[in-house]
Amino acid sequence: MTRNEIIEKVNALLAEEFEVDAEAFTSNANVKDTLSLDSLSLVDLVALIQQNYKVKIPVTDLRTIVTFNDLYDYIESHQPSA
Amino acid sequence: MKYDVIVIGGGLGGLECGYILARAGKSVLVLEQGRQTGGCLQSYRRNGLKFDTGFHYVGGLEKGQPLYRVFEYLGLDSLPWHRMDETFDRITVAGREYALSQGYDNFALRLAEDFPNEKEALKQYASLLSETESRQLDGLNPECQEDDFASSLCETNAYQYLCQSFRDTGLIDAVSGASLKMELRKSSLPLFTFLHGNSGYVGSSWRLKGSGSLLTGALAEGIRKQGGEVKCRAGAEELIGERHRIVRVRCTDGNTYEGDVFIGAIHPALVCRMIKQDGLLKPAYRNRIFRQTNTFGVFTVSLVLKPDELRYFNYNRYVYRKADVWSSASPGEIDRVMISCRVPEDGAYARQIDLLTPFLWEECLPWVQTEIGKRGEDYLLWKERIADACMVLAETVVPGLGDAVEQRYISTPLTYAGYLQAPEGSAYGVRKDAGNPLEVLLSPRTPFPNLYLTGQSLMMHGVQGVTQTALFTCAEVLGRDWIWRHIVEGK
Repeated sequence: MTRNEIIEKVNALLAEEFEVDAEAFTSNANVKDTLSLDSLSLVDLVALIQQNYKVKIPVTDLRTIVTFNDLYDYIESHQPSA
Repeated sequence: MKYDVIVIGGGLGGLECGYILARAGKSVLVLEQGRQTGGCLQSYRRNGLKFDTGFHYVGGLEKGQPLYRVFEYLGLDSLPWHRMDETFDRITVAGREYALSQGYDNFALRLAEDFPNEKEALKQYASLLSETESRQLDGLNPECQEDDFASSLCETNAYQYLCQSFRDTGLIDAVSGASLKMELRKSSLPLFTFLHGNSGYVGSSWRLKGSGSLLTGALAEGIRKQGGEVKCRAGAEELIGERHRIVRVRCTDGNTYEGDVFIGAIHPALVCRMIKQDGLLKPAYRNRIFRQTNTFGVFTVSLVLKPDELRYFNYNRYVYRKADVWSSASPGEIDRVMISCRVPEDGAYARQIDLLTPFLWEECLPWVQTEIGKRGEDYLLWKERIADACMVLAETVVPGLGDAVEQRYISTPLTYAGYLQAPEGSAYGVRKDAGNPLEVLLSPRTPFPNLYLTGQSLMMHGVQGVTQTALFTCAEVLGRDWIWRHIVEGK
């Protein structure tokens, strides 16, 4: 997947699963705040990314993901090789 | 009237939560859809005898073991518990017999007689079992920040761990042989589930003289004594929310009940299905719950024996036709069976024996649309054929069993699905996965601040696992500190 494809797909997925308008997902917006995530729904997010992109986010890495850009970067750099 | 706590589901976990919260002074209502409480522990009566579905023996009830303290608090210590023989499980794999014995050192020593080259590895394994047992309630300690021990066990694959620990595959079979009470699955079973499913029993193993419904009956009575209510034939249908909280539950009979706190003590997918209002529950959580897969079901042959024919044996037998107990049977093949003898009311002879074998829902599919009691002649024939296969295997270790049988009753995963609403007739609820602990280890918390979950699908299954999970669920309501002081430390 190219970066633009990732952005498009991740945004569509998150908008649907967390019922938030995708227009709020700007690259520098805070993921937790935008999706209103608490520690429990953060697990939903991690599970969702793993389920859809086969990318596992360990707890230690999770702390480094703050903005949507961080999330796209993480998925892009951890994509399983085709 | 508005209740402090409404518990949905009158199985072991729901009743334990109901009991603890009622004893803590909360007004409690437990709603059970079936005619009787008990869930997987309920028993049924035929010709004056009681039969169990999911209950055969319990580990960890000796004074000093963590479950003992909890059972004491729940008023369950005074039930007629019956200590099993020192060798509580006898495992036969491809004709070779192994003994699993009570006491952690003893367990290792006895197995080392069969596997002398593995003595050190066995010692280490037994000490891990012992540590798992003694630390099972650590997560409730208010002074314990994170339970790293439990987390690392959750992320370790049980089969890989055994392969790394033991060189002799016969020993892997021996230590895994009593694990028909969980789903042995090479690719997913976490070491956490495996150890917890074995450790308490090695500490001490017990049968109940009488049926498993004694346990749940005592809890229901305890709830009522403390002013709580337990209603049967009260199937919850919808959880109704207002402003991101659950405010009431509507039952199939049209009654609604208001509450401050709700506990879903049924399969989490069933709880999610009860939340029907648009926008109340985000798809991310609902879909995660719906993505979970379920463990296998169990096929049970309940035998009534002729009087004075077969001596009672105070241990369980597990028989496997072939080596490698971690490989599942081919469809339609019965390659393993657990044989459990019920403690006789009096005398030295057994009156009831259960044969259990893991069973896949896929094999029940032809009859999924049929109703209990009206499944048709082909279903009855199919059940009898499988029961015959279980008998053949059981007779290899209990000679004369067939001749001693007076009557037999059969239950299948369809029975579980029919009576307990268990999705896919699953015996142990949601399948745990060491490769993906975050996704499958469900928290007692839900997206609603006043809706919690409990029961075998969360952390652990079995009597011990469900009891432990109930403590964690109640800790969300009363605080860890309260649970620790009143129940674990018993002050």
